[in-house]
Amino acid sequence: MNNRFTRRQGLKLLGVGLAASMLPSWSLLAASNQNRLYKRYSSSDKTLPVIGLGTWRTFNVGSDPQLMNARAEVVKAFFELGGGMIDSSPMYGSAPDVMGHALNKLGTPDTLFSAEKVWSPAGGSAHQQVAELKSRWQLDYFDLVQVHNLTDWQEHLAALMKMKAEGRIGYVGITTSHGRRHQDFEQIMASEAIDFVQLSYSINQRAVENRLLPLAQEKGIAVIANRPFEGGRLIQDLKRRNTALPEWAEAECGCTSWAEFLLKFIVSHPAVTCAIPATTRVEHLRENMRAGLSPMPSASTREKMVRYIESL
Amino acid sequence: MNDWSSYQLQDFIPFSVDIYLRLLERLNENFWPLQILTLALGIAALWLVARHHSRWLCLLLALIWAFVGYGFFIQHYAELNWAGGNIGYFFFTQSFLLLLVAFSGASVDKSIVKQHVLTNLSVVIGWAIGLAGLIALPLLSVMIGHTWTQAEIFGIHADPTAITSLGFVLILFSGWRLWLLALIPALWLLISALTWTVLGTSWSLVLFSVLATVLLGLLCKSVGGWMVKQDQFI
Ligand SMILES: NC(=O)c1ccc[n+]([C@@H]2O[C@H](COP(=O)([O-])OP(=O)(O)OC[C@H]3O[C@@H](n4cnc5c(N)ncnc54)[C@H](OP(=O)(O)O)[C@@H]3O)[C@@H](O)[C@H]2O)c1
Repeated sequence: MNNRFTRRQGLKLLGVGLAASMLPSWSLLAASNQNRLYKRYSSSDKTLPVIGLGTWRTFNVGSDPQLMNARAEVVKAFFELGGGMIDSSPMYGSAPDVMGHALNKLGTPDTLFSAEKVWSPAGGSAHQQVAELKSRWQLDYFDLVQVHNLTDWQEHLAALMKMKAEGRIGYVGITTSHGRRHQDFEQIMASEAIDFVQLSYSINQRAVENRLLPLAQEKGIAVIANRPFEGGRLIQDLKRRNTALPEWAEAECGCTSWAEFLLKFIVSHPAVTCAIPATTRVEHLRENMRAGLSPMPSASTREKMVRYIESL
Repeated sequence: MNDWSSYQLQDFIPFSVDIYLRLLERLNENFWPLQILTLALGIAALWLVARHHSRWLCLLLALIWAFVGYGFFIQHYAELNWAGGNIGYFFFTQSFLLLLVAFSGASVDKSIVKQHVLTNLSVVIGWAIGLAGLIALPLLSVMIGHTWTQAEIFGIHADPTAITSLGFVLILFSGWRLWLLALIPALWLLISALTWTVLGTSWSLVLFSVLATVLLGLLCKSVGGWMVKQDQFI
């Protein structure tokens, strides 16, 4: 497969990894000449860029060549800008196939951190689902497989742990969204040896700050923030109303757009590893990826950000 | 443990409005020029309704429902929504029900159903709904912003097929046959209206209005028939 990202990005990650191993976990790490930020995950020295890519709704385009190629352009820009994690699910219709089309077209960069899910209504055991998803992505390995919305989690988690032990997948996780089933989620985080959790976290929806994020930090579980724009409503409202960014946003955290403001708020939480905004548009992706560049807001700026949004 | 109560409607609509409109457009591209034939069949169906040829109407609609079940749902919609294939099987079921009614000797019971004012009202509603599905709604969708290539066509797309069929069965049938033949089209219309709601477009209001009118028609027909029967006992 032709691949112009591999060598450069691989060396960069290696360097970042070495540097990261000398830092406390969850610390922000400025890396590369562009000040792209990476965070450590799992107890190893591995790192991930803080902005990933979601695929719910946006990548489910069926077999339409026109839209499949348009989404491949989004993926291309994502990797060109140093992107890492791409998250999908068997629940997202044709999104895994569309990702397979894009990777086949672009080549699979070493920086890709592929995150998939198993989900009961999709049919088949976790083992069958993972095998099918691998062929749809045209990959033979997933870095992360998560139990989607805790469906049949005992059964699925046991199967995923086994696959991880056999080296067939990299890491295991669980997901929730819209604030659902936080109690069950907390129990699983406390009792099972999972590597990642995925949950909804945005500047307006901060319930996870109370228990789930501190617990993740305590247990060394990496956190993926989904729905960073609350499904798009949050950022689209701000843009539609032409709401001005606060004057201090650029000076204090380098934010020149609402996308950066909303995403930097999320990924600057010490427990959060990355956020995975979804988009159909290359220009939106570019805006979102800028949120992965330093500087990040300090704790006091984060509080100011919340107050500003609440004042609108 | 599956906690279905934690799911919301939007969890089952895994595509955005642009992608759905593109799906409607792709159906038109992929099936062209079949639209001419399906519209001609729609007009033939109108004629069959006007002449009260209920058996032939059922046979024609059965063909159309089976085609839409396959072409719309299994071939196209299922690519976007894991539940799409199952909906296709419901369309096949409707096709089977239409065949069942066609061969069960179904015909309009003119002696009863034509008399009551409510029955007449339901027939008027049936004509309005049937014509809306066949002609008016595709035109309206273009007027409110869909392109011509996205226009939904009877016999190709699910909504106009369901709406037109509902209108026609409302005109021709009564009693259990009417409810049996109206159930799946009305359920699809509900799903479709909810889908457009999640997609955030006002087109859902049009579909909810059609559905409400259909329900009114069904009630008028049933109550009208029941009242005539009561009168016969007095
Ligand atoms: N239970 C679970 O496991 C679960 C649940 C929910 C989400 N997720 C994951 O999390 C990902 C993100 O969540 P989400 O997709 O629900 O919502 P989201 O990322 O909060 O919002 C996506 C929407 O935001 C818009 N958008 C993105 N960037 C923008 C920008 N710069 N300016 C203006 N609009 C922008 C996109 O529209 P455009 O296309 O116009 O850019 C899209 O409609 C999902 O894709 C999925 O991978 C997982």
